[in-house]
Amino acid sequence: MSTEITMPKLSDTMEEGKILRWLKHPGDQVHPGEPIAEVETDKADMVMEAFDEGFLDEVRVKEGESAKVGAVIATLRGAGEASQPPAERPPAPTLDVPPAAEQLAQTNGGSMKSRDGESPLAEGLELATTESSRGRVAPMRQIRRRRGSIVDAEKEIPETSSPPALEPEVTPQDKSLRYHPAVSAVQSAAPTAIAAAPHQPLALAELHEAPAAGDGKLRASPLARRAAEEAGIDLGQVRGTGPEGRVTKRDIDNFLREQQLFKFRRLVAPREGLPGTREELSKMRKTIAHRMAASKREIPHFYVTIEVDMEEAVKLKNSLEATELFEEDITYNDIIVKATALALSRYTRMNASFEDDGIVIYPNINIGMAVAVEDGLIVPVIHQCEQKTLPEISRAAHRLVGKAAHGGFSGEDLSGATFTISNMGMLGVEHFAAVIVPPQAAILAVSAVKDKPVVRNGQVVVGKTMMLTVACDHRVIDGVVGARFLNEVKRFLENPASLLV
Amino acid sequence: MPTSRYDLVVIGSGPGGYVAAIRASQLKMRVAVIERDLPGGVCLNWGCIPSKALLNSAETMELIHGASREHGIEATEVRFDFKRVIARSREAADKLSKGVRFLLRKNKIDYVEAQATLAGPHTVALAPVAGKSTPPAEGIEAARILIAAGSAEKLFPGMTIGNGVMTSKEALLNDHLPNRIVIIGAGAIGAEFGYFYQAFGSTVTIVELEKQMLPGMDTEVAEELRKAFVKRGVTVLLGHGYQSITRRGDQWSVGLDAGGSTKSIDAEAVLVAVGRGPVSRELGLEKLGIELERGGFVKTDDSFRTSCPSVYAIGDVARPPLLAHKASAEGVAAVEIMAGIREPGFDLLSIPACIYCEPEVASVGLSEADAVARGIEVKVGRMPFRANGKAVAVNQTEGFVKIIASKQYGEVVGCQIIGHHATDLISEVVLGKTLETTTAELGHSVHPHPTLSEAIMEAALAASGEAINF
Repeated sequence: MSTEITMPKLSDTMEEGKILRWLKHPGDQVHPGEPIAEVETDKADMVMEAFDEGFLDEVRVKEGESAKVGAVIATLRGAGEASQPPAERPPAPTLDVPPAAEQLAQTNGGSMKSRDGESPLAEGLELATTESSRGRVAPMRQIRRRRGSIVDAEKEIPETSSPPALEPEVTPQDKSLRYHPAVSAVQSAAPTAIAAAPHQPLALAELHEAPAAGDGKLRASPLARRAAEEAGIDLGQVRGTGPEGRVTKRDIDNFLREQQLFKFRRLVAPREGLPGTREELSKMRKTIAHRMAASKREIPHFYVTIEVDMEEAVKLKNSLEATELFEEDITYNDIIVKATALALSRYTRMNASFEDDGIVIYPNINIGMAVAVEDGLIVPVIHQCEQKTLPEISRAAHRLVGKAAHGGFSGEDLSGATFTISNMGMLGVEHFAAVIVPPQAAILAVSAVKDKPVVRNGQVVVGKTMMLTVACDHRVIDGVVGARFLNEVKRFLENPASLLV
Repeated sequence: MPTSRYDLVVIGSGPGGYVAAIRASQLKMRVAVIERDLPGGVCLNWGCIPSKALLNSAETMELIHGASREHGIEATEVRFDFKRVIARSREAADKLSKGVRFLLRKNKIDYVEAQATLAGPHTVALAPVAGKSTPPAEGIEAARILIAAGSAEKLFPGMTIGNGVMTSKEALLNDHLPNRIVIIGAGAIGAEFGYFYQAFGSTVTIVELEKQMLPGMDTEVAEELRKAFVKRGVTVLLGHGYQSITRRGDQWSVGLDAGGSTKSIDAEAVLVAVGRGPVSRELGLEKLGIELERGGFVKTDDSFRTSCPSVYAIGDVARPPLLAHKASAEGVAAVEIMAGIREPGFDLLSIPACIYCEPEVASVGLSEADAVARGIEVKVGRMPFRANGKAVAVNQTEGFVKIIASKQYGEVVGCQIIGHHATDLISEVVLGKTLETTTAELGHSVHPHPTLSEAIMEAALAASGEAINF
């Protein structure tokens, strides 16, 4: 019996997906829940899981090719034939052995031959490359290295402390045997592994180091350790919710789910194009192109700009920091989100959508924050801002930022926004206007806080000011409402004690 | 919000209410507890504690009877004073009830004797109870209200208590030993009283509608218990539904439906042990729009909050299982969630359930059938006590330990124990479940020899086919 594997719908708006990489190859055994392929969707790169048990039989969509949602992309042979040896495993991983290393192995020649005629180095090479291709080796570390190599800013992410001592005294070979052949959710790292291949001794050293070097402080239940080991997760990456931060099975499950749902390469420097080249559109670029063009085409935008005196807001931020009342520092962005939420709760028409036969005023205020990522932008959402205090908004934002840094948005984190804020304050911009994200009716563009002369009590003094520009859908909002709303945001920001109530 | 006199008012002083109140006091809340009966609730006064005193008497009787049979110790002419047996159980209950009163005082919790009804989201109305001191006011105000009103015995419609027809509450006070008794229901209460009356020489018939004793319990365990009861001379009628009760002379005649055919059993006394239901109807919940679920349980969310945000509910009144220690644990959890020092949520699968007849029965987590029904691939380890050195030495070889583990990780998803001291033995597995151990840790922890606890270690090993002694 063979089962068909179809392209899953991995997000609400997904219509087709591109196979970035097959994590399983014809002949490989797959278990339910095991990642089998990486798929690029309009929202993010995601990992697709197997729903059934069996052996991967035929791959119908090659890496780099796209398929519509629901289309058959592979077939699975039933578990009944499980006794068949996975003979057709492609030799690809070992073929990727870089010539330099091969040469090295050859030059060392006879003196290094072991009993079975292979040089220990080549043996190591074989181990390291095939292992890497299956993601058995400290996958998180590989991902991190890759990020670091792509963009400098990634270096700021601290290297995690050494992984915990899962199984001390385990030789590399033993260790690899102990790993389940499951492919970890985070092991999209094949190219990196190959990049690491020329330095075989290093790779072997890592194998030693990974399991053995723990600081002994990591708390995790035995079950969580087993589950993490099988999934190839570094326990140090998992936030523990048990007593004193103990990692429980549920934490592992949540970690895996988040990893598998929404993994994407975090922003930092936007991608630069090489002069004289033509770049294939990614799904994300296609989505941005489509939706932004539709927005400008269909939505009659008008813009209102106001200058806000941020003196008091700056004081508030500084005094909150000084008292260390909250675990996380309150940012300008948090303060602006709170002020915007308060203003939206009074000017509900700003929190709305135009439909052909009516205007929908949303019951909740869900504020999306545009965040740049490697190849575009995503909009993580702080839900129900009308019910959240400033510290709660700050915590929610902090959590989303954490997810942006480490990957792992859930579907909810990226959907349901009723209003968007685009903040380029950190980029020092004087003033800008943003494009409305359909079907929302408005977007607030936040510029930098700058030292400027202001008139206070009839005197010109140096003040801190910030420009806000709201873009409105004229089909829903008229100028007066837009202006009043913006004045309301200004009023809250200039009287920020109100934000603490 | 009205000016709050209290941070928390707890309705009910049972194992849920009084524990919650003390925890709240520790967390610097100003707390009052309202009780209409006795401090400690059903558990201390009409449940766990007095019944365990009775079962201890029963076990002592069984021990003495076994003395000559097994040990060659002659104990001729064993006599007993049944009034003293009952009185001793009341003494145990009274002592602990006074202890609860003391604990509440020590923790500066106001104890109010009254019938409580909710008069508003922050107001509890107090009505005097006959024979108790007058409440200090007509009502009290609190920022939060915790309903821990517990549960009451269920009865068949039209059945009246008295003249030998009892629920567990009457049975605990009944100091006349019936020569023949019919017990309707083979759940925990039915099994415990069945064992008790049998040990003192009554002719006992247990009637159960389901096809097994202890409905819901692992079927192997239930069957082992049935055999143990039959061996002791108890008649166990499974698949028999109650139909009627009529007075015939000085006897009751209980009519039964055995899947189509009817039969009747005559007995001096009838104990109705068909479960307990939440006390949720007389609290004025409907006035506040507090929703109830099927069976009358108060609907709560992850934080034990009812549909009225300032009102919480825990224990028997909120949801099954109806167990004292579950109520206590929920009480602590609810208060800690209110105080913001604990995440919402509560793991019901780590709550053990115990039955204190002999052999004892204890269970935590899923049964084999439940685990399979949930789609968990399981491996099962069994260890009979007849292969355990200590059990053989102390002549307590009934029963076994059964451990259900997931095939994937060896996660302990459930454990059932039937046998001597099963209720004490289960705690090891409860701790293990809480810490998320696998059968590897249970099996590799060195257990002292000779003890009954070795059976747990061996059952854990047996789950991977590595048991040494069986």
